[in-house]
Amino acid sequence: MPDTLSGPDVALELDDIQGTVLRGRPNPYFGAYLIFEVEDPTQSLILLERLLPHLTSAADWQAPAENAWINVVFSHEGLRRLGLDPDILAAFPLEVQQGMAARSEFLGDVGRSAPSEWVMPHALKGFHIALHVMAGSPELREAKLAVGHAALSDLPGLKLIYRLDVGMPPTKREHFGFVDGLTRPFIVGQGGEPLPGQTVSPPGEFVLGYHNAKGEISAGAGPSEFWRNGTYVSLRMIYQDVALFRRFLRDNSDDEYAQELLAAQMMGRWRSGCPMHHSPDRDQPELAKDPLKNNDFLYYDSDPQGRITPLGSHIRRANPRDGLKDSISDVDLHVLLRRGSAYGPVLPEGQLEDDGVDRGLVLAVINAFPARQFEFVQSQWINNGDFIAQGDRTDPIIGRRDRADDFLVYQPHRHRVCGLAEFTTLRGGEHLFLPGLSGLRWLLDHLRQRQPETAPLKQD
Amino acid sequence: MTHPDPAIEAQIQNLKQPISQQPDGPGKRIGKRGEIVVIGHVLPGGGDLFRQRIGRFQEEAGYWESRIGTVHHFTVHMFDDDTRIMISAIYDGDFLVYLDDVIQQAGPWFDSLMPGVWEGYGSASDPETAKLIHDQAHTADAFYAAYPDYSAKDIARMEKVFTAVNTILDTAS
Repeated sequence: MPDTLSGPDVALELDDIQGTVLRGRPNPYFGAYLIFEVEDPTQSLILLERLLPHLTSAADWQAPAENAWINVVFSHEGLRRLGLDPDILAAFPLEVQQGMAARSEFLGDVGRSAPSEWVMPHALKGFHIALHVMAGSPELREAKLAVGHAALSDLPGLKLIYRLDVGMPPTKREHFGFVDGLTRPFIVGQGGEPLPGQTVSPPGEFVLGYHNAKGEISAGAGPSEFWRNGTYVSLRMIYQDVALFRRFLRDNSDDEYAQELLAAQMMGRWRSGCPMHHSPDRDQPELAKDPLKNNDFLYYDSDPQGRITPLGSHIRRANPRDGLKDSISDVDLHVLLRRGSAYGPVLPEGQLEDDGVDRGLVLAVINAFPARQFEFVQSQWINNGDFIAQGDRTDPIIGRRDRADDFLVYQPHRHRVCGLAEFTTLRGGEHLFLPGLSGLRWLLDHLRQRQPETAPLKQD
Repeated sequence: MTHPDPAIEAQIQNLKQPISQQPDGPGKRIGKRGEIVVIGHVLPGGGDLFRQRIGRFQEEAGYWESRIGTVHHFTVHMFDDDTRIMISAIYDGDFLVYLDDVIQQAGPWFDSLMPGVWEGYGSASDPETAKLIHDQAHTADAFYAAYPDYSAKDIARMEKVFTAVNTILDTAS
């Protein structure tokens, strides 16, 4: 294999890229994140060696033979504990080295979302290695988990410290009631053709070793054998206060239609997924199901002031499309490949009081450059409004609320929705490295050679 | 140290601005406003090249800065007998996150002035350029920003609203 893959038309090495990079969720989906602490680096390598043959690649991602996969990720601290060379560790992107907890002020993870309140461990609290399992049935999920357990059990090197199960709610929507996962970029080299409205991105925005939006080959830390076909995953566990969201809609609306309209204005899509852009006055679920229409819209010419899809709505912040054409922002540098999966049971329909049960969304953003992708979108577009001349105003659904809590809409007339509450709380997060399969092979072989020089468990 | 007049000292304390470090790079920050000063070395012969190009660079400043849209103030100085160059800016928001965007948007403008002048600068799109800017930046020891909670975009909007209101009032009277 060449050291780097050059040329904009090169095909992705699908059989070397871990499956989660390209594979969408099964429908329905059942998954789990298992987080492990490295207690013994030597034993950990043995366990990882056992796991390697069972990891799923992105080969045949559009029509996989098996409706289930298992992938592995590492935190920077986890790689350090395993004994990776200090000079390679120092070459990781700064945000990955520091870890997401250290970036909390910049990302706006403050107050109840501050790292001191997190329930999911981060890298300095033991998140060293994680398995991600996704399957089309509970049985397949448990079968994959059994493979993982069999590989990683009976030796004390890795300690399971946290498990989070995810699964599609019976409503087939995320907990606030929205159909999600409608927007994803088309990756050059993935095969097929982009759907109308899909952002077309060079593969190096999401996979190391390929051309990116700046015309360079995206490179990782250390030798290319280690990072080629790998990427970074920015993982977030987001609690959703469903009762609070429902009460907010009720308290700020005169009737059920107004509640649905308000929810749509906050998201930018009606809860079926129908874009407000195509249907400003009512939900059209059949439109939401049409892949040729449900993502086919732009803002610059037809809606520059956000009179149809509010400027500050969630989808317009997470993906401004052409709305920032006259601004400094080059949106092609800030595209996200987003994987969301729900956790926790649904709050029964119509219930307006919280039941104390943890529920929410696990967001996994795949990005070759977390600083200019996930972190940029989170800090500049979700948790700030300057880019759309909205000052400190933030995303009405997931934004921080300590600086501003209002939101401008134009329907049924121009007015501000005030008193936006903290509908979501961050329960944990981390930046992780997802190696390619040959990169993982290289890592294990390399670490085995370095065994006598393995770093001590405690960081100085 | 305090002012001998307590009333003035009270005003001084009342008008003191909260200053912080930019969260993601060099420079100080007050409200939305950040400052950056970069001081680099000039290559031999760079002074002459600079003087040949600076007139057109000045002409184009309004165009390129309007594309960036977040800069309140920008200067370039050649000094110390053509051996050093200083670039300063007062701008909105965080530093590093927008550096890629600034370079992408205004790269051609910088490339019309800096190659052969600023030592270490090849072109705006070189991966080393962001590092050069970062490494040669100097954080201010003192910083003041007028109306720090209003961005350049806010001011542009307020200007439009101000003009519109005056038009209405003038028409009504």
